[in-house]
Amino acid sequence: MSELANHTNTAHASDLIERNDVTVTNIAARRGARASLDERARATFGVSLPSTPKAVEAGGALIVWAGPDQWLIIQKDEAGRDHYSELAKTFNGLASLVDVTESRTIFRISQARPSPVLSRSMGIDFHEDAFKPGDVAITHVSHLGVIVWRLPDGTAYDFACARTYSRDFGDWLRKAKA
Amino acid sequence: MRINCPHCGQRSNDEFSYLGDASIVRPDPAAPNANEAFYAFGYERANIAGPMQELWYHAAGCHAWLVVTRDTRNHEILDVKSAQEVALERQKAAGTAQ
Repeated sequence: MSELANHTNTAHASDLIERNDVTVTNIAARRGARASLDERARATFGVSLPSTPKAVEAGGALIVWAGPDQWLIIQKDEAGRDHYSELAKTFNGLASLVDVTESRTIFRISQARPSPVLSRSMGIDFHEDAFKPGDVAITHVSHLGVIVWRLPDGTAYDFACARTYSRDFGDWLRKAKA
Repeated sequence: MRINCPHCGQRSNDEFSYLGDASIVRPDPAAPNANEAFYAFGYERANIAGPMQELWYHAAGCHAWLVVTRDTRNHEILDVKSAQEVALERQKAAGTAQ
């Protein structure tokens, strides 16, 4: 049996799900508005927008660093609520907002540690001491752009990729997570 | 070769794309020698053997432009700054000179 086969359905096995129940909004600070945007974010979510590759959970949202002065705000869908419009109103004039729910697919692997295959498959260091809960990395996997983050509570890894490639990337993850 | 992105940390060079000399500054179009200055701006490049400031784009990462000081003889990377920071420093230096 190969090493890969050995890890299937063992302690490393875990669920891979596609997160279809969230609204994803990309926000980019307007020039010179970083400080006032942060003030508004603190008033709304109670936390600062991270300026380093981190993800923070606050006020029912997961705020993921997505490059300098850019973030993804991920909120669980609720009946009767339009998260994007609410955010657009909150950050009006301070940031450019785009609803990217339909253009991004987010996969979740619920495991506290990456499988040996996953850790060897991406160009970033997934070691426990290097990629801690709440850490974010923007990188690529076989030419597909991916943002990966470890949930702040350390229970899962999320991977966001362009929806066009989600089937391909999903297949790749299914093999890598084992 | 690995580049220490000031935003993302150490990353493999396959995440970056290369533009070229980062020391080139767009000349003043109102200057009397603007023609010659723009010719040099567009076409003249030094073929440096040693440390050189270069523009790199973190295309597969955080999408930031970087100014990387690289020794062209052995690919040793001596310094990495965000291009925005370098541009602001230059503007500030130009402002003080005037």
